[in-house]
Amino acid sequence: MKKLFAVALGILTAIGGFVDIGDLVTNAVVGSRFGLGLAWVVLVGVVGICVYAQMSGRVAAVSGRATFEIIRERLGPRAGLANLAASFLINLLTVTAEIGGVALALQLATSVDPMWWIPVAAFGVWIVIWRARFDLLENVTGLLGLTLIVFAVALFMLSPDWGSLADQALRPGPPADEPVATYWFYAIALFGAAMTPYEVFFFSSGAIEEKWTEKDLAKSRLNVLVGFPLGGLLSIAIAGCAAVVLLPASIDVTSLSQVVLPVAEAGGKVALSFAIVGILAATFGAALETTLSSGYTLAQYFGWSWGKFRRPARAARFHLAMIVCILVAVAILATGVDPILVTEYSVVFSAVALPLTYLPILIIANDREYMGDKVNGRGMNLVGTIYLVIILVAATAAIPLLIVTGAGA
Amino acid sequence: MNDESAQRMPRPDPRAPRGRVLDAHLHLLDRQVLDRDGTPVTTIDDLELDGIELGARIEPGSPAPSVAAILTGPQLLMRIFGGHAPAARRISIPWKLVASVGTTVRLGVGADSLDASWVERWVSRHIIGRIPGGRHDPE
Repeated sequence: MKKLFAVALGILTAIGGFVDIGDLVTNAVVGSRFGLGLAWVVLVGVVGICVYAQMSGRVAAVSGRATFEIIRERLGPRAGLANLAASFLINLLTVTAEIGGVALALQLATSVDPMWWIPVAAFGVWIVIWRARFDLLENVTGLLGLTLIVFAVALFMLSPDWGSLADQALRPGPPADEPVATYWFYAIALFGAAMTPYEVFFFSSGAIEEKWTEKDLAKSRLNVLVGFPLGGLLSIAIAGCAAVVLLPASIDVTSLSQVVLPVAEAGGKVALSFAIVGILAATFGAALETTLSSGYTLAQYFGWSWGKFRRPARAARFHLAMIVCILVAVAILATGVDPILVTEYSVVFSAVALPLTYLPILIIANDREYMGDKVNGRGMNLVGTIYLVIILVAATAAIPLLIVTGAGA
Repeated sequence: MNDESAQRMPRPDPRAPRGRVLDAHLHLLDRQVLDRDGTPVTTIDDLELDGIELGARIEPGSPAPSVAAILTGPQLLMRIFGGHAPAARRISIPWKLVASVGTTVRLGVGADSLDASWVERWVSRHIIGRIPGGRHDPE
């Protein structure tokens, strides 16, 4: 019974933890412009994140080494530092987007200007990282994030024309009134949102925080293989809601209020409050994960003591680095930059940084010195390599498409 | 390396090393160093070798150099950008403190006894330890 509960808890938190501000905004934007025409990208991204999250968890559990320690070992100090700089800066951009997202969610709930909420959100993120146990922060935000299921419920309550939705999803391709480049730009943004590299840093470091051994691998695989696809369905539901309500009315998504508009239309205030709780939990949870990831990457490259299982004073530089990251994020938001815009850029740059994270994992998962007989099987390597090619194509195309399309304008 | 057992048991090739062969580049550099209790101390940023002069020609048949210390701190910048740090500025962990070498390098002493962890101790004492809750276990 206890085991069953643990498995269920793991799956539920994986579902709730899958969606972050990047998924929320990008799916709503894409839904309002292309309907479900890009839903296939979410599926491709979900399979990819399942493959690599599971692989990095296995590497961490078997070898006891987290991702960035291995990246430095395999790439050496110079290429490792370049990788660290890129991964860290993009992650910092994501921290900024998530903290901004928390502030926007609080604005939705209270109508108080988000500027006032930014310091509150940042302090909240810090105090939880400072004081709360790792499993507690994982489970609470993951479970509360499940209220985002209201998007799926809302989609049914809107009683859409399922035939035309299925038609959009099954016949992918740019619509007549949108340029081809814009279609692919959003495809890459959506891919970056689903496969964000911080998930891998967080997943592998989390495996060490929770002291996984090879025995925990089956459980973790189940969490990933069931939880992430259901989280992906949630993403598609968000896009679906936008496709049904926003697309016909040609409403652009420029803030969270448009993201939740279909939910409010379908279920009124009750549904809306569920959506706000869900968005708050999802962005807050992701703010915790990205902030921790920035500490993890730095500490693992330089070999500092790290981990939430230690007292802050026993992992001093790790905690100091995270405090500085939160302060930098607040400083960026204090300039008045739109968090939605930060989010849109963060998912595109995430796509650019994907190979930096995923290639070293694939290499190390084949290294017998670390993995013993738990190295990748042939099938896993085949899938991993196919994804590496997709990732490389997306990463190379991201910046040119960003410039050509004027960030999808 | 020449202890009694080597003299008692002649090997087919006298130059072949005994035991596990470690490639300094592959197995030591950039590895995580853990202390006696498993707490991370640093990453091996560089190694100090004894019995070899920088830039000098190595005569055939000369004795092999040995690893004297693990270097850290500013040495990382030297490895990335080139250049040399004066010996007095190096932060080193003597190789005799190393207990075992695997996918990590384990020391036989606690991190707090090492010069190499002074930055961590300073940040802990002067910043993190002063914030309320910094010395308590998470709840």
